[in-house]
Amino acid sequence: MPLLPALYNTARWLTREPTEAEDLVQETIVKALAGFAAFEPGTNFKAWIFRILRNTYLTSRTGLAARRTVALEDEIEATGTPAAAMDLATPEVEMLRLSDRAALQHAMEQLSPPMLEVVLLCDVEEMKYREIAQVLEVPIGTVMSRIARARAALRQHLTRPALTSARLRVQEGGAPR
Amino acid sequence: MNDQLSDHLSPETVAALTDGELTGDDLSRVSQHLATCAACTTRALHESLLQRSAARAGQRYAAPESLEGRMLRAIALQQDAQASAKESSQPASVAPPRRAAWGRSSVWAGALAAALLVSTSAFVAHDLALRSANSSALVAETVDEHIAAMAAATPQVISTDRHTVKPWFQGKLPFSFDLPAALPPGVTLDGANLVQLDGAPTAQLLFSIGKHHASVFLRQRSAAWSASEATITSAERNGFHVEGFRTAELNVLAVSDADPSHLHDLALALQQAQPAE
Repeated sequence: MPLLPALYNTARWLTREPTEAEDLVQETIVKALAGFAAFEPGTNFKAWIFRILRNTYLTSRTGLAARRTVALEDEIEATGTPAAAMDLATPEVEMLRLSDRAALQHAMEQLSPPMLEVVLLCDVEEMKYREIAQVLEVPIGTVMSRIARARAALRQHLTRPALTSARLRVQEGGAPR
Repeated sequence: MNDQLSDHLSPETVAALTDGELTGDDLSRVSQHLATCAACTTRALHESLLQRSAARAGQRYAAPESLEGRMLRAIALQQDAQASAKESSQPASVAPPRRAAWGRSSVWAGALAAALLVSTSAFVAHDLALRSANSSALVAETVDEHIAAMAAATPQVISTDRHTVKPWFQGKLPFSFDLPAALPPGVTLDGANLVQLDGAPTAQLLFSIGKHHASVFLRQRSAAWSASEATITSAERNGFHVEGFRTAELNVLAVSDADPSHLHDLALALQQAQPAE
């Protein structure tokens, strides 16, 4: 997949707004051009430019609002809410809803930014954990636990979409809306 | 992965298995467990389904058609900013949005544009690094060949007549090319050489642009050549300007210390003389 559509898709998920997503992609590319001195040939270019996208997002208006969520996320990781505790979904219901693309997209929308970004990087962009660790600038172990917890949260949003979404956002590290 | 704390695989292990992140002993251990545990096998299957469904659902937003043009303009603006910065020796700024000072050559801008719009993500890092390296090496070799030609007493074929120069290459090259009927004002054809560039037979056409010399290297378009040359639209090396273009059959590089706009006019005339793609 060419990178521009991938960057835009990720930017749009994160910002949830088309104009802001375009601005985010443009600023990412401008920063990539200006900061090429920091890119080491032979290292992972995709991870590098997605890291610029992510860092640019975090300093954007929407991203700054999400930063509090990231801080909460880190607190939860530090205190160690195990993914297993959230893995409560009913398999039959989950299986039925997996075929419903709109339902899955809605469930992804309910994820907090830290959960959503690992789903985007891992599942949508098919990055390896090592690459995701480079993008997020966290250890691989953190990537592993975050992916497991993001999938568990996604499963729960998918199977119990309406009633529990607000509670789950708090549980997974997001601020209630 | 804390699997030893329970009889079943941890969520992290199931995720890592689904994502193909387990290897060696970890993978063997998990495989052995799955062979005897229906519950974990079911979980792994569900995880895999969830992953694939999320991958499909996540491909949700198509970039607007205008985005590609907007990004290319942003890249071009940066190139202009670089040129302005060189001329004025002062930091350039371009708006909007916020700009940082330009850091590298325009070769990189071309490479980035190619990566954003053409290359596939799976191999882009290696490919891009390779292209950049190849492009730099190719630019260096092109400039060296041009300098060598200027240092030589006479070209292999001396003629200002395109009807003499073109036939001279027949049987010497695995491709053919056309020369424009009329060259830009102030440009004359001096002759040509048969050279090896990047290990392949290449036609080197020699021109004068006013008091400056220019070389135009024409090679058969091939996958290997395209990969490296695709990123060269223009580059600078040791005071020489290099400009590249492709046609249906050819990869072409023009090099000179003349005004880049005059070299561009020559390159354009040659490009227009070739059959359309």
